[in-house]
Amino acid sequence: MADEAKPPTRRSTPIWLYLVLGAGLFLMVVPFLWMAISSIKPEAEVRAVPPTWWPETITMDNYVSLFTRLDFPTYFFNSIVVALAVTVGNVIFGAMLGYALAKLVFPGKRVVFGLVLGTLMVPGVVTFVPLFVLTTNLGLTNTLPGMFLPFLAAPFGVFLMRQFIMGLPDELIQAARIDGAGELRIFFSVILPLCGPALATLGILTFLGSWNNFLWPLVVAQTEDKFTLPVALALYAVGQNATQYGLLLAGAVVVVIPVIAVFLALQRYIMQGIAMTGIK
Amino acid sequence: MQRTTTSRLRTFAVLGVATLVLAGCGREADTNEAGPGQGDAIDDSPATGTIDVWAMGTEGEALEGFVDDFRKANPDAEVNVTAIPWEAAHDKLASAITSGKTPDVSLIGTTWMGEFAEAGGLDPTPEGLVKEADFFEGAWGSTVVNDTSYGVPWYVETRVLYYRKDMAQKAGWSEAPKTWDELKTFTRDLQDKDGAEYGINLQPGQTGSWQSVLPFAWSNGAEVTNAAGTEYTIDSPEMTEALEYYKSFFDEGISGPTRLLDPGELETGFAKGEFGSFISGPWHTGLVEDAGVTPDQYAVAPLPGKDSAPGTSFVGGGDLAVFADSDNRESAWKLVKWLSEPEVQQDWYTTMGSLPAVKASWESGELANDPQLSVFGTQLETTLAPPTVPTWEEVAAGIDSDVEKAVKGATPIDEAVSHMQSQAESIGTGL
Amino acid sequence: MAQRISPRHVDPTRRQQAVAAWVLAVPFMALFLVFTAGPVLASLGMSFTDIRSTDMQTPFAVGFTGLENYTRLLSDPLFQKVSLNTGVYVVLGVPLTMALALAAAVGLNRITRLRGLFRVGYYLPVVTSIVAVAVVWKFLLRAEGGLVNTVLSSVGINGPAWLDSTTLALPSLVVMAAWRNLGTLMVIFLAGLQTIPVEMKEAAEVDGATSWQRFRFITVPMLRPTLLFGAVITGIGYLQFFEEAFVMTKGGPLDATRSATYFVYDQFGFGNYGYAAAASYLLFLAVVVLTLVQFRLLREKD
Repeated sequence: MADEAKPPTRRSTPIWLYLVLGAGLFLMVVPFLWMAISSIKPEAEVRAVPPTWWPETITMDNYVSLFTRLDFPTYFFNSIVVALAVTVGNVIFGAMLGYALAKLVFPGKRVVFGLVLGTLMVPGVVTFVPLFVLTTNLGLTNTLPGMFLPFLAAPFGVFLMRQFIMGLPDELIQAARIDGAGELRIFFSVILPLCGPALATLGILTFLGSWNNFLWPLVVAQTEDKFTLPVALALYAVGQNATQYGLLLAGAVVVVIPVIAVFLALQRYIMQGIAMTGIK
Repeated sequence: MQRTTTSRLRTFAVLGVATLVLAGCGREADTNEAGPGQGDAIDDSPATGTIDVWAMGTEGEALEGFVDDFRKANPDAEVNVTAIPWEAAHDKLASAITSGKTPDVSLIGTTWMGEFAEAGGLDPTPEGLVKEADFFEGAWGSTVVNDTSYGVPWYVETRVLYYRKDMAQKAGWSEAPKTWDELKTFTRDLQDKDGAEYGINLQPGQTGSWQSVLPFAWSNGAEVTNAAGTEYTIDSPEMTEALEYYKSFFDEGISGPTRLLDPGELETGFAKGEFGSFISGPWHTGLVEDAGVTPDQYAVAPLPGKDSAPGTSFVGGGDLAVFADSDNRESAWKLVKWLSEPEVQQDWYTTMGSLPAVKASWESGELANDPQLSVFGTQLETTLAPPTVPTWEEVAAGIDSDVEKAVKGATPIDEAVSHMQSQAESIGTGL
Repeated sequence: MAQRISPRHVDPTRRQQAVAAWVLAVPFMALFLVFTAGPVLASLGMSFTDIRSTDMQTPFAVGFTGLENYTRLLSDPLFQKVSLNTGVYVVLGVPLTMALALAAAVGLNRITRLRGLFRVGYYLPVVTSIVAVAVVWKFLLRAEGGLVNTVLSSVGINGPAWLDSTTLALPSLVVMAAWRNLGTLMVIFLAGLQTIPVEMKEAAEVDGATSWQRFRFITVPMLRPTLLFGAVITGIGYLQFFEEAFVMTKGGPLDATRSATYFVYDQFGFGNYGYAAAASYLLFLAVVVLTLVQFRLLREKD
């Protein structure tokens, strides 16, 4: 990171690099731009083959449809609550166990880490059905907790926090111990404040993942007032025999806006955070 | 010390799982007898209590307001409609049945009835609730699982031939083809005389192609199962002949292309005259008109039969079923009964555009008089539904796969057909 | 590691640590055991039975079939095919994505202006709706009139029907996946690159090493742990590829693009829960094996 402030003793960046990267950038963003532009086209034009670029007709119908037919505030609220709960839970529990695995010595440590790592490798399809049976038996269907509880203990967060905290100097902890601080106090007052970037990263990634989650909230919700945003979108856009692509794209644009906003605002933290897990 | 404890713990865990699995396990002998008889009859008094209803997609949206008349006639009943996305409705219904957290009534896709009935999720239709003869035969068939009827058909769809009327007339066809031979000549003419790139677009295998292929097989007299629904009879000369006929369109270059079409490609191609004809259901009228086809440019016709029209087409749609776990069974069935009354069915058509499953609804109004709709009405009288067995989705996927192999020339036709049979047999009926 | 300095007689601290550790671990472990470990074990149990979706109300009244699901899977020609497809996808996809991401990272590391814009831009495919991605890519790959074939024909090559060919469909999806996922990897590599001391590279430059030599002998070795991490998570992700094939080709043509996860998804859809669980466990096994192999290949050689 310090490199960015280096004095200009290096030769200036060649133009051709900018051109090549720029071309690459164009290739990367084309579908996204098409998605945004097409959301203001009428349905028939969205489905036109070959696809059009600039709209022949501009219409806000898709967005109007989206906001009038969908009970937006409720779905948005549900999505936010679930995503926030999952995020906060993962950040806190991930940091706690991550620290324990990174810096503390205790019996069963190997087993616990093995379990966490092993679960990281388990494909999601494996647990879906039994998880649903469990959720029902606990009386959690059609509740928001039913939507977020199973995801509060995700191994990715623990793994990420462990890697980051391993990079923190042991001396800090030793010093605090010598000063007489209790173990938990050390965690909360010494370690946690230093974890800013990692916590932010974990928070963002978890939020993004939870925000876009479709299948689980759908299966848990029994009544419309418990739908999340992606579920509600699918409701109106996908029919038994035909899909309304215009509506789907408008919905995709709306759903991705918070994602991009969050990413833009905090991308520096993300970069720092992901890097920590990679380097060790 | 740590090691021994953990490995001991692990052993116990494994043993525990094994014991759980083994103890109290085992299937009861499969007696393959007919399902439970029809449910107890219900009376004529008005409905009471809360009735929770699930309906998918736009049906769900529209139903909420639509049932106001029912509410007026049954003031003691409260009807709550929840709209569910089609995309994962199947998973949602399956999970609901598993957990016992079902609504009272739900719309259920016709091809899902077998599975949900067999899972014990559905309540058999009460005696005397409706008359079987009031419904289109194929539609009623979709509700019968193992000789017991579950639920009532709500709306139907069937597949007909869509063709470019103007191009046909230019090629010398004043009427739609009625026989297989005529269809062949017709589609060839659309290519040779009108310059269409493909005379017809048939699905070359892949998901759902069975809905295009089976009508040809059925029109030729082939059956998927025997009359009792206990054995598969896919491998038959009639099926082979039908598949050969289907494949010949591809071999002769009349149908194409063999890749998956993009969404909108069929309609745009139809509008441009690249595709002369195709086979599909009622929803396509809106789609082709959106793509710019004017009503006098195209027409629909019943499927050609082997030697005479109409051929047997596929019938699908939605059924209304009451769940076994419902705590308001009688009132739930009363709502279902109300929705199957001929006038209500007609009103539902006016609201949603879904074709009524009740024959009487077709005898008046727009459904009787509109020439396009009467084609669907005629076709509906000669349709079949696929077997209502719980394993149908898997068997159908196997058929799709073999159709693709046959059409693309990867397997000879008789091998493909016998493979369909052996696959279906190994999958079984699930009953 | 520094921890070992503690002399043996500091037992109370050890115990304090252990207590603290377990206090910190308990919330996670409790949730984890109930909501993750439990279902994982239950699924394992399911894979040893012939349980179907129609049995779910009476899940214990099913037949115990031992390893039958597994043996059936291994001799199922479709499962063999999807396993091969998945393997090819990973073998082609992981190196390609990593190479592209590394190139992009190295490039972005060199430029000084508009870094934020480039970062976001290269990351956008990761968050773009798969529906939009599919429309654009299907258009690119169309046999007649598709952009790729149009470009090829301008240099005299007659491009094939990419998505309709049993041999070319899967590689086409691999390219699309590399395009889609390089953003995530690029961001990781970029951060990794920025921790390589500039002094080392400048010293090498002074010694007369070329750009390529610097890259090969300094950058890559120092990047090794990051490369390993990238390879592992990409491998795990690609072993479970599903969405692209589902939206672009529906597993076709003739199952050429059907993946193992797609197979599991289909089996769940058919209601064959026991069979599907067994297949997903075989997939899990593959993930473990691949991860171990990657560790072996890419671990630090000191």
